[in-house]
Amino acid sequence: MSDKSVSLENVTKRYGAFTAVDDLSFEVSKGEIFGFLGPNGAGKTTTLRMMLDIIQPTTGRIAILGSTSAIPVRQRIGYLPEERGLYRKMKAADSIAYFAQLRGLSRNDAKAKAMSLLEQFGLAEFAHSKNEALSKGMAQKVQLLSTIAHEPELLILDEPFSGLDPINQQTLEELIRNQRDAGRTIIFSTHVMQHAERLCDRFIIIAGGGKRFEGTLAQARAGFAKRMHIRTPASADALFALGQVASLRPEDNDGGDENTYEVTLEDGADPQGYLKRAIDNELIISRFEQAGATLHDIFMSLAGEESDRGQTTRPPVMEAAE
Amino acid sequence: MKQVLLIAWREYKQYVFSRGFLLFLIMFPLGVIGAGAAVGFLENNKPTRHFVVYDQTGAYTAHIDRELERRHMLSAIAAWDVYVGVSTDLDALVDSSVPDVFQPGPVNERRAQEFTAAGGFDVARENIAPFLKSLALPFEMPRPSFQRLPLPNDFSETASLAEVEATLRPYLLEERLVRINGGSPQPVFAAILIPEGFGPQDDASPAQYWSRNLTDQALEIAITTALDTALRREAIADFGLSEEMLDDVVAIDAPVAAFRPDRTAEDAELGLQDRIETALPAVLTYVLLVIIFGVGNLLLTNTIEERSNKIVEILLSSVTANQLMMGKLVGIAAVGLTMPTIFLFGALAMSATSAGQENIMAVAVASLFSSNLIYIYLFYFLCAYVIFAMIFLAIGAVSNSLQDAQSYMGPVMVLVFAPLPLMVMVFQNPNGVAASILTWIPLYTPYAVMMRAAADPPLWEILGATALMLAFAIFLMRIMGRIFRNAILQASPPKIRDVWRLAKNDGE
Repeated sequence: MSDKSVSLENVTKRYGAFTAVDDLSFEVSKGEIFGFLGPNGAGKTTTLRMMLDIIQPTTGRIAILGSTSAIPVRQRIGYLPEERGLYRKMKAADSIAYFAQLRGLSRNDAKAKAMSLLEQFGLAEFAHSKNEALSKGMAQKVQLLSTIAHEPELLILDEPFSGLDPINQQTLEELIRNQRDAGRTIIFSTHVMQHAERLCDRFIIIAGGGKRFEGTLAQARAGFAKRMHIRTPASADALFALGQVASLRPEDNDGGDENTYEVTLEDGADPQGYLKRAIDNELIISRFEQAGATLHDIFMSLAGEESDRGQTTRPPVMEAAE
Repeated sequence: MKQVLLIAWREYKQYVFSRGFLLFLIMFPLGVIGAGAAVGFLENNKPTRHFVVYDQTGAYTAHIDRELERRHMLSAIAAWDVYVGVSTDLDALVDSSVPDVFQPGPVNERRAQEFTAAGGFDVARENIAPFLKSLALPFEMPRPSFQRLPLPNDFSETASLAEVEATLRPYLLEERLVRINGGSPQPVFAAILIPEGFGPQDDASPAQYWSRNLTDQALEIAITTALDTALRREAIADFGLSEEMLDDVVAIDAPVAAFRPDRTAEDAELGLQDRIETALPAVLTYVLLVIIFGVGNLLLTNTIEERSNKIVEILLSSVTANQLMMGKLVGIAAVGLTMPTIFLFGALAMSATSAGQENIMAVAVASLFSSNLIYIYLFYFLCAYVIFAMIFLAIGAVSNSLQDAQSYMGPVMVLVFAPLPLMVMVFQNPNGVAASILTWIPLYTPYAVMMRAAADPPLWEILGATALMLAFAIFLMRIMGRIFRNAILQASPPKIRDVWRLAKNDGE
């Protein structure tokens, strides 16, 4: 039995002359939280819809939960689209139960599950309120609970954090971790890097419909230039003179004898070698701290220029070191 | 299938268990009763029209009085029949020795004469008294529609027609009123002037009918009939017949029975059931139109809500677009059928509880169920529903708001209601050219076949047109289904020129 929940192989989606997704391949393992990152218009939603067989790819193959189409396995999938709503006149508990029933639960089980989830998420008193009477945050919780009520083994969440306040974002992060801990696979798309950085076991960055990176955060960082924070009374020129410096930026300095610099080394340069050269040159180093690239940096580097599909040429794909 | 039924049930519940629908169910029968009561009340309280007659000949006023009295008598007998039907134990009355003339029957001249001869309404009341239901109100004679007034006092009997006209004009223009028996002053509705030279000859002076009211012609018709009858009586009297003989002649009503050549001699005579069977298709076609228009709007608003509320993508992750479409079609069709079903059960209940002779409701229900008509109607109702519902669904799928939908709805409404004028022709001649043409237009096949079903249209025509309609319905389902599937997830509604592209594309 495959340990992959989802795999896409050379998937392309064209709308007339416009290519929304271009030769995209990636895999999602069972039980992992997989981030699907990309700027607006990168092709994230189109890819997720193709995974769910809501729309069909122009070319390429998709396998999901061991099936070549999501339709036979829909009851094992929970999907929260980016743009989501509820029937205004329906009651909160009925909404959750209705979608759970559509995904295979019996009427009684669906109702019981709806009530228990509402209780668990502090919404029990609104179970019989119509959706139109709920606040936006409560409605978003109801939508989320509708997605998980049938206990799917694969959760696909499209921009789940958008529109949530910080407290609800925290609640959602916990829910995603809990789902992973319960053995479920979670794929979520976002363009807010902090969430991805905190949650993802692995992630993919797409831009312009194509893949820019797939792997772990550590793998992403490994491919990026090394950065250091150095505190020294030496001048910036002296630090440059040590060699292999790509860029140097003074940080918040207090006007004392020493300054702090963020030093980015050239590709392939070794921070330890740089430190050794500094000591050999009798520079006084009172603080030396190595810093990896943040996901935001990586994202901006890989996808930033292609935000909203403005770009036609594509930077080379960054391959993660296995 | 379970998902389709779940969606259908949700759609059904949303509308049928809504306060509005329940309120409508309660209000509708109350409304019908209320409207009936209001019509009855207005009819009973219709003001009596007052008129004057200036008859220079002195010969025709009595004829006018007699004609109006005759008409009043006929309407009183018609009211009497209704009263007896509602207020008495009719079965017991029919079996009793109460004279036939006091029991419900034909309303005609002869019966009016017999009714009067048997003692009139006073005797009739006494006769039926033992059979009155416990809470029955006493019978009240309907108010006469017209009442002749004596000429005003300021009137010279020897005045010329021109002077009479000048004198009456302020009364006819309501500048002056007439006080009747010390009551409140009343306007004069009309004046009839009969000149000296009035007669049947071509060069005779015509009688004059003066009135400001040109829309209510009932009095004018009654006066014309009275004068026609008077002149004919005069002509026949010239041949030497007595008044009594003339009365007998006038009271003759030709008995005419209608027959159907497609039945055996014993069953050939047309009865109430046949009349109802003929009218039923028109009623049901009208009901179909109303339902299609009503549920079409439900489908439209409901699809627009799911699209604009962004519910549709969640639904499409759980069911296919086809399942969603089917669920909506089934659910809303059930909503559409609920109303007529409830009214049908209401009619059944009424026909079961109301005893008596020819109960129209019972006959209508019986004729619907005694043949295969009900299945034919159901089949064509569903076909018509699918054809138009698919169009409404597709419009809903390409619209983010009712405003967006308006640009498509105009032409669709024209299509829905276009056959209405032709339907009258189909009703009058169910196997004529108009009927055949409508039958072969797939959009209107259901209407036309329903209208023609009871008139034994050529079988080959119905089968051929039905096959064409089914092929068209399948084609439409494919095309509209594609538009629905392709458009429902688009963030912004497609432009009209892009809709055909959506219809062609099966894979987006």
